[in-house]
Amino acid sequence: MTQQTLPTVLDRNIAPQLRPINHIAFVAPAIYNLKNGAKLFWRNGLQNETSKIELHFAAGSATGDPLTASLCAGLLINGTAQKTAKQIQKALDAVGAYYDVSLSQETTVVTLYALKDQLLKAYQIFHESLFGATFPPKELQELVHERSQKFKIQQQKVSFLAQRFFQRSLFAGSVYAQQIQLEDFQNADRTAIQAFHEQHYLKGLKKVFLIGDVSEDTLGSFQDLLNLFESNTKERKPFEWQPEAGATHIEQEGALQSAVRIGRPLFNKTHPDFCAFSVLNTILGDYFGSRLMSNIREDKGYTYGIGSHIVENNNFGYFVIGTEVGVQTRTATFIEIQKEFERLQTELVTDAELELVKSYLMGQLLKSADGPYAMLDLFANVETLGLDLSFYDRYIAEIKAVDAQKLQALAQRYLNWDQMLIISAG
Amino acid sequence: MIHFERFTLDNGLRVLFHKEPATPMAVVNLVYDVGARDENPAQTGFAHLFEHLMFGGSVHIPDFDAPLQAAGGQSNAFTSNDITNYYDVLPAHNLDTALWLESDRMLSLAFTPKSLEVQRQVVIEEFKQRYLNQPYGDAWLQLRPLAYQKHPYRWATIGKNIKHIADATMDDVRAFFQKHYHPGNAVLCIVGNFELADIQQKVQHYFGDIPAQTKIARQLPQEPTQKRFRQKVISRKVPADSFYYAFQMGKRLDNDYYLADLLSDHIGNEKTGLLFTELQRKKRLVSEITAYITGSIDNGLFVITGKINPNRTLMELDDALWPLLEKYKAKKMSKPALQQLILKLQTAKAFQDQGLLSRAMNLSFFELLGDAALINQESARFSSIQTADLQIYAQQLFDKDRCALLQIQAQLP
Repeated sequence: MTQQTLPTVLDRNIAPQLRPINHIAFVAPAIYNLKNGAKLFWRNGLQNETSKIELHFAAGSATGDPLTASLCAGLLINGTAQKTAKQIQKALDAVGAYYDVSLSQETTVVTLYALKDQLLKAYQIFHESLFGATFPPKELQELVHERSQKFKIQQQKVSFLAQRFFQRSLFAGSVYAQQIQLEDFQNADRTAIQAFHEQHYLKGLKKVFLIGDVSEDTLGSFQDLLNLFESNTKERKPFEWQPEAGATHIEQEGALQSAVRIGRPLFNKTHPDFCAFSVLNTILGDYFGSRLMSNIREDKGYTYGIGSHIVENNNFGYFVIGTEVGVQTRTATFIEIQKEFERLQTELVTDAELELVKSYLMGQLLKSADGPYAMLDLFANVETLGLDLSFYDRYIAEIKAVDAQKLQALAQRYLNWDQMLIISAG
Repeated sequence: MIHFERFTLDNGLRVLFHKEPATPMAVVNLVYDVGARDENPAQTGFAHLFEHLMFGGSVHIPDFDAPLQAAGGQSNAFTSNDITNYYDVLPAHNLDTALWLESDRMLSLAFTPKSLEVQRQVVIEEFKQRYLNQPYGDAWLQLRPLAYQKHPYRWATIGKNIKHIADATMDDVRAFFQKHYHPGNAVLCIVGNFELADIQQKVQHYFGDIPAQTKIARQLPQEPTQKRFRQKVISRKVPADSFYYAFQMGKRLDNDYYLADLLSDHIGNEKTGLLFTELQRKKRLVSEITAYITGSIDNGLFVITGKINPNRTLMELDDALWPLLEKYKAKKMSKPALQQLILKLQTAKAFQDQGLLSRAMNLSFFELLGDAALINQESARFSSIQTADLQIYAQQLFDKDRCALLQIQAQLP
């Protein structure tokens, strides 16, 4: 890169010259079509010892009964006819591997991390355990007990209460509103879990992401094993809905803070307004200098943090503001948020603020594309929506092009206080 | 192996440079050798409150964040009992912006009453959010003064109580800055695709004229070896009884740290660890249990913590735990078990070292401890451990006389 020459004398009142980001190179992984119809994406060229494999299953909490989905995910490798849960764990320990299972509404993602020379061995252990899973009654009983104990503790948290009530109200009447209740735990059904495992895991592979400098032979061995799944590559079914707006407060005696969630249905990356709305959302509440942070934290001191987000799922997206504020400043916080919506609807964003946010978003995108792991995540985020990496070129172009009038029109369309679902707990 | 270059400015600022050719980003990490342990016992929570004020504008620059955001960057910080660490991540071609900002706030802050007033409120809300309005949130506020009676680790980073924050004055804040924020008390680390000569020139340009100041040697009261078991029982509105057994261990650079780290993994692991298999699964006393270490620079704590099952008691757990630890002390770990623990640690470390920010923070931290090169000795220190060392250490560590026990009794059904 070219070097900037520094002036000989430092004048601290003058900010260094900034240079824009002109280009970001987005690199796609290699794509392999598995015999079962699912795709394997492979990224190499890491030049270090790390590696991971990520399996996506059509096994999220909204694909069936949420308790069954959750318990099944928790018991995936907890016993086969030959091995106990402890023996499986010890086998993974012996190759230094870690794994985690994360459950969203649509998808369950299982990730295995290991050094590249150990990854195939780790996967073989996982694969054998998953295919031979017997869901031992004792393990199920223990998991149900542990989860219900944790659930009782969660119920003491205002953030948990607000988030749950928000989700339930936002998605009222649809499968996405289903939630586990404490009393459900006693009805855990092993047969249903076994059926779910068969249907949503062994026959539910959506796609696989592999990253690491493994050999072609190793890659072949992975494919042989992955071919043993049946795939579920069902088309996305866009979900549109209109919940009832309005405010609800859940009182929790003795609480010092109230957790707040304010939001509405929106869209994901597939929508033509997504890129421009991202700019609006950032200005409102998605970076440290945002209007919500500047007003409600940095000017009023009502909260430790406040933010707004676009939450995306394969089939939909929604907008949400989240914060925890002192109980006595909850109402004042609502008034300030409403004022910020109205400011965006009635006053044009200044050039200075708009330019700052555009540069900030470009810098953040550059960072999100830094390194093979980050780049594969960027790819996965669009691939899952049926898009490709050209989305990011479009995103850059649209961010650069968006103006204050367009942002005002978006605020008028999407940020109306009386269309918001407003939930507080505490 | 993490390669780095090192140089020191005339004013005492220690600088590290780690070249990473593969990234378009730069990390600027600045650690100050001040943490909650350096606070006056009557004014706790100051180091952390001060960290908030560091974003309130400096002598020549009214707003810290805006210029960095305009450069495509982002910044944050954390305070621990030992250190205060600031970092900026931004596109490499705008490195100057981060150096300009960091050097100006090292030079002097623009102390305004408004900034102090607001950040006091923000920190009070943080206190509520993290410690007071969470189930079990105040456990460490209670455990610290039980486990430490002399050393300033006896209070938490957030402070002993809200009043200390609420009472902070402008004069207090200025004095804190004067004492701790100067080049000789900091380590700067830059990571990115740069040349050493350019980094030297830039750092000299932005930081070179900041006046040197003598670093005041730290004289903290060290925690004496505990002689007798301590116990405290409190009641809270939580659904399950909970326990924290805290054993005295050594300093970050002592052999203790490496031994304790391995031991905590060995007994604390879910599914395979001794605590889980014996107390959770076999005896069904707890719904969760684990072990970890604090890893502080001065003498730390080895903690065994968990939650009691309904219809079981804290006393039953206590009656089962001590004989179990005795049994553990009597038996040597197998060699393969030790090799597995080390392999897992090394795997975790390889993933951690992937991140630029993590590399920058760790290099800075080790330099602050005396030598950034220590970062490359960690792996060997773990690998050199023998099973006999672990057994001897376990025998010394799990001594009831050197244990502080906090028990939380549930008031909710």
